[in-house]
Amino acid sequence: AHIAEDNSDLLQHVKFQSSNFENILTWDSRLEDTSGMVYSIEYKMYGEAEWLAKEGCQRITQKSCDLTAETGNYMEFYYARVIAVSAGGRSATKMTDRFNPIRHTTIKPPEVTCIPKVRSIQMIVHPTPTPIHARDGHRLTLEDIYDLSYCLELHVNDTYQMHLGGKQREYEFFSLTPDTEFLGTITMDAHQLSKQSAPYVCRVKTLPDRTWT
Amino acid sequence: GQEFRFGPCQVKGVMLRELQEAFWAVKDTVQAQDNITSVRLLQQEVLQNVSDAESCYLIYAMLKFYLNTVFKNYHNRTVEFRIMKSSSSLANNFIVIMSQLQPSQEDEMLSISESAHRRFLLFRGAFRQLDIEAALIKAFGELDILLAWMEKFYQ
Amino acid sequence: AGALAAPQNLSVHSTNLKHLLRWSPVVVPGGTVSYSVEYQGEYESLYASHIWIPSSRCSPAVGPECDVTDDITANVQYNLRVRATLGSQTSAWSTLEHPFHRNSTILTPPGLDVTKDGFHLVIELEDLGPQFEFLVFYWRRESGAKEQVKTVRRGGIPVHLETMEPGAPYCVKAQTFAKAIGRHSAFSQADCVEVQGEALPLAL
Repeated sequence: AHIAEDNSDLLQHVKFQSSNFENILTWDSRLEDTSGMVYSIEYKMYGEAEWLAKEGCQRITQKSCDLTAETGNYMEFYYARVIAVSAGGRSATKMTDRFNPIRHTTIKPPEVTCIPKVRSIQMIVHPTPTPIHARDGHRLTLEDIYDLSYCLELHVNDTYQMHLGGKQREYEFFSLTPDTEFLGTITMDAHQLSKQSAPYVCRVKTLPDRTWT
Repeated sequence: GQEFRFGPCQVKGVMLRELQEAFWAVKDTVQAQDNITSVRLLQQEVLQNVSDAESCYLIYAMLKFYLNTVFKNYHNRTVEFRIMKSSSSLANNFIVIMSQLQPSQEDEMLSISESAHRRFLLFRGAFRQLDIEAALIKAFGELDILLAWMEKFYQ
Repeated sequence: AGALAAPQNLSVHSTNLKHLLRWSPVVVPGGTVSYSVEYQGEYESLYASHIWIPSSRCSPAVGPECDVTDDITANVQYNLRVRATLGSQTSAWSTLEHPFHRNSTILTPPGLDVTKDGFHLVIELEDLGPQFEFLVFYWRRESGAKEQVKTVRRGGIPVHLETMEPGAPYCVKAQTFAKAIGRHSAFSQADCVEVQGEALPLAL
């Protein structure tokens, strides 16, 4: 009887690492020495019969491959797999879990400009571009994809917080003490999908009040 | 609070987020059991471009199938506690939704209900082409596709 | 020894969507009795009545109480049952007489702490977890003043509510909103603070 060779040591942790819809396939090996090992990547949409070879990731030696373009329909469900071949001719194939970009991608901190004034701090949130293009070719932002709202917190001398939030881009915290340092944290919340970005943090000091000098 | 609006059918008392989190807790475990990656039950022809008017008929048929066939038989096959708990949470919330859905039976809605029925038959046809074990696992594993579609009607 | 007695007097005590199942302890001199709790929702009782699901936190439970909050995750009736175990002996199941629905939970007015920092009106609400939001009503106590309302997403942290002007107290009251069941609590007692101080000096 033919005993199947166990080559599972060649490949492990085959998965997508995705943030802001940049979808990178990564994997590693349990072998100490992987010199001479080559990897070939295939992908497909869930429900398709054919596996498609990823150009540029055939017989590569590094342990990652950028599949952003190939997984560009963020509502869809994808699989990818790695075929590893060792110098001695042993081989193994491993597949990812089912990957759904809109759910799996993590959201990076937003881009924010914090502008201190004498008795207020203005915060402007900038749109976050993604690598995804709409049919007409323009690049989509996270705001195009998710029903995003922004949550802004201003920490006042570590005792309490001021909160602002909503879908607009410009906010201002008023009635602050001049010449005082504040810590601001701004996150993006895709409430429906229980997703929240990592916080953008800005530490700013209100300007001195020179009105009476 | 928030609610579903499947066309004229309004559903309160269900937190979509609770459903998603219940499924996400077991998604990888369940989907890993489905190794037929070349077959998808909830194909695009089933769920794409569903009109509001159609949506109440379609969701009614889908939930009825999941309650009568998928959860019932899948419940018997899983002893893994986490999956039982998630499956129960999903099934009981589907019961809440079903209890509030009243698709209109009026004649002028006949063509719309038939269009929804054709979509459902596409899904059930694909289900019946598979061995029952594989079909149950695949249908349960595709709940994220169904929930993602239901989300469009959640306000 | 006779068969192990089944637990008696099952009841659910539910406040602010935290559900505790309680029963009378089974006492066996010199023995340590533990308990197992199981539940089934309307789906199981209608479609698969033989199926009972072990409670997340109490299989086994040591004392005569079990927090079933994480098991009750839909707005349907739930059956709950308990049995006792002593060594190799297990009792019969005791089932809650009336099924439990989380809509029956008691909603209490939220704890509310009102303070000030300079001209800032600051409040801190009781932390009731992610299932709750708070509606906060506040007004300047003078004739003709309008009541304002703000939604506060979570408790447990002091939050700036308004910037006050001297000359009249500001009053605050709050109620909780239980999102899962779409119900509000009663209002908390109103609490007021006043900021002293004079208007900013005119430029010379």
